Amino acid sequence: MVDEKTLRDAVKKTVGRKDVKYVVGYDKGTTGFQAAPTFAYEEKDAEKFVFNPTCVNNLAVYPMLEDKPPLRKGEEPDTRKIGIVLKGCDSRAIVQIIQEKGLKREDVVIIGIPCTGVIDPKKLKVKFPGQHKSVEVKYDNDKFAVTVDGKTQKFSKDELMPEKCKECEYPTPIIHDILIGKEIKGVKKPDYKEIEGFEKKSLDDKWKNWEKEFDKCIRCYACRQACPMCYCKECMVEILDPQWVRRSVNLSENTAWNLLRAFHLAGRCISCGECERSCPMDIPLMKLNKKITKDIHEMFDYKAGVDAEAKPLLAMFKPDDPEEFIL
Amino acid sequence: MAKEFEPNIIGFLCNWCSYAGADLAGTSRMKYPPNIKSIRVMCSGRVDPVFVLEALRKGADGVLIGGCHPGDCHYQSGNYKANRRMKLLKKLLEELAIDPGRLRFEYISASEGAKFASVATEFVDQLKKIGPNPLKEVKK
Ligand code: SF4
Ligand code: SF4
Ligand code: SF4
Ligand code: FES
Repeated sequence: MVDEKTLRDAVKKTVGRKDVKYVVGYDKGTTGFQAAPTFAYEEKDAEKFVFNPTCVNNLAVYPMLEDKPPLRKGEEPDTRKIGIVLKGCDSRAIVQIIQEKGLKREDVVIIGIPCTGVIDPKKLKVKFPGQHKSVEVKYDNDKFAVTVDGKTQKFSKDELMPEKCKECEYPTPIIHDILIGKEIKGVKKPDYKEIEGFEKKSLDDKWKNWEKEFDKCIRCYACRQACPMCYCKECMVEILDPQWVRRSVNLSENTAWNLLRAFHLAGRCISCGECERSCPMDIPLMKLNKKITKDIHEMFDYKAGVDAEAKPLLAMFKPDDPEEFIL
Repeated sequence: MAKEFEPNIIGFLCNWCSYAGADLAGTSRMKYPPNIKSIRVMCSGRVDPVFVLEALRKGADGVLIGGCHPGDCHYQSGNYKANRRMKLLKKLLEELAIDPGRLRFEYISASEGAKFASVATEFVDQLKKIGPNPLKEVKK
């Protein structure tokens, strides 16, 4: 349980600092099963901040959205920090961005939430079809209590949690300036059984699976927008000359997009699951991400977003990188 | 009469080593299959996975990347990094049902004309076994 009063006080204190531009966190949202990102520019804005199992978004995207317009003569750059409310998994994005030198540690003030898991809005949607009004979801010991139209129902966590929470290794933010409540130790480990099963399939079967998925893709790029690691100023799909990925929505271009997206996140993806959550066509993007995460761990003994001092995976090498002599 | 399948190979060859190696193979009149269309790059590290994918999408049956031997890259570590990248790309191609054998990374120096010729021969044989690139047909 996260004490919301402590959270609000922390937000108040942070936004009250002269060197902080704003704090981004969650408010209760207006529709469905999701809290919405919200901003505090002054102390009184802190009152609307909440933390509950519907706080799914990874807010680490926000500092990367800051515009840095060219300065006028005599103008000083705005060096104020951004305060962010982060769960354990989310914090890995900031760690990774710092590793890539996209941010400096001192650019952000992290209000860390030791997290006991969130819900998967897609899973709740199935249970309450057609629910548009904002719904209350609370932590109730080892269950989620969902209140719809005044009636409260309890669900086991496993029933409603996304996969990432079921195998969360870092429930407490890896880096933080303020921690709301006590640290929670990570005891779970990623489970690669499904991935390993898929690896054993024939190329044909693999393609049958992905063909069906990529065929659905409408190239809305929601997966990219939601991803904290997709912060390129100009994404390769928007480059017109040479145009690596054509704009037409067909299986060939969709496959190219998904393959390149996955590659660009290789060794950078921190498994927050935002891409898959935001995909309107329910493409299991995490399956692809997880496969690569697994390979990278096995081949290079590397894990993204845990050590800000480490070198990015593809910017370094070890002379004893595994060699393969297959023909 | 069915013609034997002749694979199309795009080779991204480092200017300082493999490209010269290929040249040597040619000037010393070594025999190797003519299936490789070479593209000279300034370092194997220049090869973005997007190049590989584009080649495959445009109908190449295989892609060869030739770089300097470990320790010999003119830009220190381009070859190591390229190697890492291509290993990952192979895994990804395999996951998405493209035979990883269509992609090959080799260290070939400027004096290794014979190695270039043998790599080319081997790769062509290998691709003949794998067969034509199905990606060509994915296009709708
Ligand atoms: S969010 Fe889903 S549908 Fe949209 S581009 Fe990404 S994979 Fe395709
Ligand atoms: S690819 Fe998906 S899981 Fe990975 S960092 Fe981006 S949004 Fe998170
Ligand atoms: S898909 Fe690649 S190029 Fe596009 S924003 Fe993400 S990392 Fe950058
Ligand atoms: S200069 Fe040849 S691989 Fe870098």
